[in-house]
Amino acid sequence: MKNKKQGSAQWLSLIFLIVLGVVWITPLLYGLMSSFKSNLEMQSVGFKFLPINWLFTNYTRLLQNTSNTPVFRWFLNSIVISGGSTILVLVVTSLSAFAFSRLRFRGRNVLFMFLLSTMMFPPVMNIIPLYKIMTTLGWANTPWAMIFPAATGVFNIFLIRQFMDNIPIAYDEAARIDGASDWQIFRIVILPLIKPVLFVVALFTFTGSWNDFLWPSIVFSDINKMPITPGLKLLQGMYVADIPTLMAGAIIAIIPTFILYLVAQKYFLQSMSLSVGVKG
Amino acid sequence: MVDISSKSGNVSTNRKKTWHLHGKSFPILYLLPHLIVFTIFFLIPLIFGIYIAFTKWDLVRTPVFVGWDNFKTLLFSHSIFHDQLTSGLWHTILFVLISVPFCILVPLLLAVVLNTKPIFAKFFQGLFYLPSLFSISAVVIVWSLIFNPNYGPLNTLFHLDQVWTGTQPWAWMTIVILTVWWTIGGNMIIYQAALNGIPQDYYEAADIDGASRWKKFIHITLPSIRGQLLFTIVTTTIAQFNIYGQPLMMTNGGPNGSTTVLMMNVQQNAFGSGQSLAGISSAMAVILGICITIVSMVQLFLLRNKD
Amino acid sequence: MKKAQILGAIIASFFLSFGLTEVFNPVVHADSNKEIIFWNPFTGPDGTSMQKLVNEYNKTNPEYKVKNVSLTEADMYSKIPTIVNSKKGIPDLQIVHVERIKDYVNNGLLDNYNPYLDDFSDINKSNYVPEAWNNGAYKGKRYGVPLDIHTTFMYYNKGLVKKYAPHALDDNIVTFDEIKAAGEKSQKDGITGLGLTWWKPNFLSLYDQLGGQLTKNGKNPSLNNQTSRKVLQIYKGLYDQKITSQDGQDPMQLFLTNKEVFFPEGIWMNNQIKESDVKYGVTNAAQLSDDPDKMVNWSSSHQFVLLKQPKRDKAKTEATLKFLSWVRTNSLEWAKAGQNPATLAITKDKEYQKMQQSFLLTDKTEQESLKIFNYQYNGYLADYLDRYAYDSVFGKTSISSYLNKLQNTVQDEVDAQMTD
Repeated sequence: MKNKKQGSAQWLSLIFLIVLGVVWITPLLYGLMSSFKSNLEMQSVGFKFLPINWLFTNYTRLLQNTSNTPVFRWFLNSIVISGGSTILVLVVTSLSAFAFSRLRFRGRNVLFMFLLSTMMFPPVMNIIPLYKIMTTLGWANTPWAMIFPAATGVFNIFLIRQFMDNIPIAYDEAARIDGASDWQIFRIVILPLIKPVLFVVALFTFTGSWNDFLWPSIVFSDINKMPITPGLKLLQGMYVADIPTLMAGAIIAIIPTFILYLVAQKYFLQSMSLSVGVKG
Repeated sequence: MVDISSKSGNVSTNRKKTWHLHGKSFPILYLLPHLIVFTIFFLIPLIFGIYIAFTKWDLVRTPVFVGWDNFKTLLFSHSIFHDQLTSGLWHTILFVLISVPFCILVPLLLAVVLNTKPIFAKFFQGLFYLPSLFSISAVVIVWSLIFNPNYGPLNTLFHLDQVWTGTQPWAWMTIVILTVWWTIGGNMIIYQAALNGIPQDYYEAADIDGASRWKKFIHITLPSIRGQLLFTIVTTTIAQFNIYGQPLMMTNGGPNGSTTVLMMNVQQNAFGSGQSLAGISSAMAVILGICITIVSMVQLFLLRNKD
Repeated sequence: MKKAQILGAIIASFFLSFGLTEVFNPVVHADSNKEIIFWNPFTGPDGTSMQKLVNEYNKTNPEYKVKNVSLTEADMYSKIPTIVNSKKGIPDLQIVHVERIKDYVNNGLLDNYNPYLDDFSDINKSNYVPEAWNNGAYKGKRYGVPLDIHTTFMYYNKGLVKKYAPHALDDNIVTFDEIKAAGEKSQKDGITGLGLTWWKPNFLSLYDQLGGQLTKNGKNPSLNNQTSRKVLQIYKGLYDQKITSQDGQDPMQLFLTNKEVFFPEGIWMNNQIKESDVKYGVTNAAQLSDDPDKMVNWSSSHQFVLLKQPKRDKAKTEATLKFLSWVRTNSLEWAKAGQNPATLAITKDKEYQKMQQSFLLTDKTEQESLKIFNYQYNGYLADYLDRYAYDSVFGKTSISSYLNKLQNTVQDEVDAQMTD
């Protein structure tokens, strides 16, 4: 009887998901289809879901115009920047989270609350002074200008710490009895256990850095050094009213984050079930 | 609260060549990498930004300290900046009030439905997460296609003649729809994971008592995920307070400035076409920051665990 | 875990293969390698033309080569104050819109050309379009050397003009009355008479034709008056009679699909419009009167400026002026982007004379109709006009509250500035 009840719930769920899923995917598919249309077709034919003439020129044009829109170059820059940010964030925040979760020191909670409270201020305030710091360091137009600010985030420490708090202390204590130091506990006991949350942090950091546009458009002036999101803005200047070409650019830009999502997907659930404070 | 180092400190020996010398632990070594980066690239700029709120500055010359003048202008004068602050803040709050419930409820509903484990659950999870991977400009391009009054599917298919982004309340509706569409992925996954973690026997016990599905949701599911709910409500609210890109690119703050949010005014005063008014702009941002802090505190207080 | 390792390997290999070596190097600034770093806001066809122009110059083997850096306009303008303030990585040559110069001088962002002009006697008044040249000077010093003078004029659909306004173009001046007459006929066939395009030039041009002034004393704005009210009333009248494109319609799309008779737009859009199959011609912007001497065509100018440098390198600055001097006589490539170079030398070029936009420079009366709106606080005015655009014309707010807010916004922003 129970199975039957569950079965009916599943069917209801499926129908609901299909309906909402169609709503969710339609704009994306329409955007995707538009990237295969010519601008003239887009503007004159009126609404048609599928292109009348399938064109790939929007894509080839973007990829071939290497002097004004070095899309491939931007792509590589973005991978270096987002990859670098992700690595630095993982190292720096997991260490910090370990201290907040496992080590005892004076002012621990005060420091943590202070860090959290800085999350409330709008990031735009930092831009001008941050720019000055970057130019002083000679880092404008280099990936460092994006990698280091990415690692300041407190949100990630919060996520990782919550996850660690749910790992039984008994594990550490057992290791300590065997003579393990803090560092060894971190390396050997904790690190393997927090892999799921690290995947989530990696995904959030990578996509966040990939899609950031305000800061990189200030700090990058060299067209060959900039990442892809401000690059896409440059495209918008180049192809003002040419929506299909802009759409093609957007589709190209999503590919790496999509791949990363597919890799990280299976770790999501595992990670989150322990993180974000079951204790409240 | 975890307290291990003091209890077990003596056990460790000097055999291991680590940072852990003579049983003493050095938490600072673990904190330092983040604190250094945090101080140089966040804290110092932030403090400087707050200082700027007390100055007149054009971004070029040396800032001139003016005390509370900017705040007085913003809060108590009849100047245009006072209007910008009040209307900008009001529009921001309006957006927060409309969008946050959707950004919590829609993903929660999706997570509950996905948790019944229908077939293709993973596919659907991916589908609903997919928009989060796009940057704001790409999202706006997609939705301005949908809402395009001349060749957009909405007007063409339903034979309407609506200027969606140019008339209220539709202008807000377009912004809220695209925000919900764009951002629910993260919260959905958080809820999904939380639901996953609720022990099955809770429900089985309730089944024995003959509880309805709704009752189980209210009395078992919601309390079990309250931590995640609190967390997402606070972070979502903070995120929506910082709304900027959606109205800028979708409606350009119109019609008649009715979707001009505070961040747009902050941005325009600092980086507009005229000489920069960075002091006023910073003061606006500080006031926004204070508002966000207050709202977060209230939320934390109201939703705190009463046990 | 395998996938994760693969991902890690991918990231690592990127770092090793090219990341560490090239990407992480900061931009090398010209000090060492005799390069003139040249920033400009040119993208699209403009960007391509400027790149070609720079390439041509570099082919002449100058001692200092020019490195062209094109940025989006908004980004470029937010960078300029920050980069001058940071005193590092400042470009050697910069293009800004002429309306920025006064503000930039007052902010201490610019160096002037005066110490160098004696050696470059060809960079002088008699060789440039006066309106562009004169606005490049401020407080008796030369801060800008004009590259071009770009105008908002009017595109028209040849077939539709023949049908609805056969005589409007006889004198090459289309008046608002003629547009109205054409629109009244054309709307019966579902054809729009006039496209409502970029509001700022449309507003300013008509305001000036009516004798309006942006400021009385050079500082305080004077924007809420009978004249500005009249401008809005004229446009609102045309809008309410459905002679213009309606709220939500894209005037460019209408024009490209043969559904619009007159389409006021910048000369710089020509290359884009050329790509469509519309049969079109170009003429002056819409006028109130058909008297050629009263004609006003809104214009702006891209000017070469020198951003302030802590230590200005004399040899390099001279090399920069050499480039400007070369541009003066080699501007054809820039005209190909649809632009009108500010140098008078171009008017004698046969190829240029055949270009559609050339009538604005080759004819003396036309040249005098070009008007640059160089109010010192143009930036604040422009931001307001761009954000609220047609709101009062579309009836989303009243004309008086629109103008009232416009006046107050600009006035309060002027008052909030740092004092000099």
